[in-house]
Amino acid sequence: MTADRITVAIDAMGGDNAPGEIVAGAMATVAELDVAVRLYGRAEDIMAHVPGGRVPDGVEVVDCREVIAMDDEPAAAARRMKDASVVRAAQAVRDGDADAMISAGNTGAAMAAALLRMGRIRGIARPAIAVPIPVPGSHPQVLIDAGATVDAAPEWLVQFARMGRVYARVRWGIEEPSIGLLSNGEEEGKGDTLRKTVFDLLRKEPGFVGNVEGSDLMRPGRADVFVTDGFTGNIALKSIESALRSLANLVFSVLESTEEARAASTTVLPMLLEAAEAYDPDLTGGAVLLGVKGVCVISHGSSTAPAVVSAARVAGACVRAGVVQQLRETVTDAG
Amino acid sequence: MPAETHVERGDFGPDDVLAVIRERLAEILEIDDDVITRESSFAGDLGADSLALIELVEVLEEDIGERTVGFTFDDEDLAELHTVGDAVDYVMARLGAAG
Repeated sequence: MTADRITVAIDAMGGDNAPGEIVAGAMATVAELDVAVRLYGRAEDIMAHVPGGRVPDGVEVVDCREVIAMDDEPAAAARRMKDASVVRAAQAVRDGDADAMISAGNTGAAMAAALLRMGRIRGIARPAIAVPIPVPGSHPQVLIDAGATVDAAPEWLVQFARMGRVYARVRWGIEEPSIGLLSNGEEEGKGDTLRKTVFDLLRKEPGFVGNVEGSDLMRPGRADVFVTDGFTGNIALKSIESALRSLANLVFSVLESTEEARAASTTVLPMLLEAAEAYDPDLTGGAVLLGVKGVCVISHGSSTAPAVVSAARVAGACVRAGVVQQLRETVTDAG
Repeated sequence: MPAETHVERGDFGPDDVLAVIRERLAEILEIDDDVITRESSFAGDLGADSLALIELVEVLEEDIGERTVGFTFDDEDLAELHTVGDAVDYVMARLGAAG
């Protein structure tokens, strides 16, 4: 790790397409970004996917023998499997061998590994996953929590709101980000017991604009930060991703449906594909685990090589922006 | 118990262990340590889930390990720790067995 070049620790064994796509993404990261990579995983499995068997400059393979599977109990596995790739990646950040970590594997395990190895920021009971939601013609919205903590206490959602606000400010330069509580109606009094309790707690928080609905996501103006528990947030995120995929498939099928449509697609399709890039999780992705004392980017389970590059780009941006330091100063003070 | 374990117990008794657990648990759960008693149940009274318990175990191993080399919790035993008192008794038993 050098003073000016960021080093990212990547869990090479995590994800549906690991290690092949993860290794390919690591190679692309070094080629495309000013980032060095430490790849954590079984060396022989990693090397099998290194072109020509030669590790390029800027990439280091760190052999570790254990892998946490998607169905392992996350916290217990992160404690027990100290030589697991995701645990070693988190430890690299704690030890200063890397500036940030990336995993596309078991989300719970990544959170547990980051929490146990890096430690928690004071004032934060539980980390939360912040995901940028693209908004046409505007900066992204922040959805927090997108799946780290499914059973959240009301006070934790207040902490999520504070972290989301800091993140929106640091990442996208929004001076006073507005906070909305994701609910089933915008009127005060809407929502379940958790939402109603959180609403009262959030009244005192700067930037709180009240309840927001799922239909306010991807629309500019209503709120910059959408606060919710990890259970609801994950469903909202997956619903958006699925709807966008379905919409894209519909458009493509229409463009293939008739001779006239196919002719039109030669003009329209390149423009559509370019526009669609702004909504492609592989190209915009990289959810950030906020609340731990290090940068941890969680990529989705089906990550391909471009998703790894995108995650590394997000990791680098967070390191350069000093997200963790900003959280420590702001959230701890607010505690 | 690891073979290399040795203990410098001094006057490190149950009250000291309780104090360490209360302090660390309060930090982990972001709650006031006044609400944590020997009788508090981790899940029911304090809202501590499995991740919080494992975080507690790791910091206790670090804290107590400073005076007791090789002190660890056995992962198989964690499911039996329902209350703060259970954890205190468990730590004391481990220290006693080592001493």
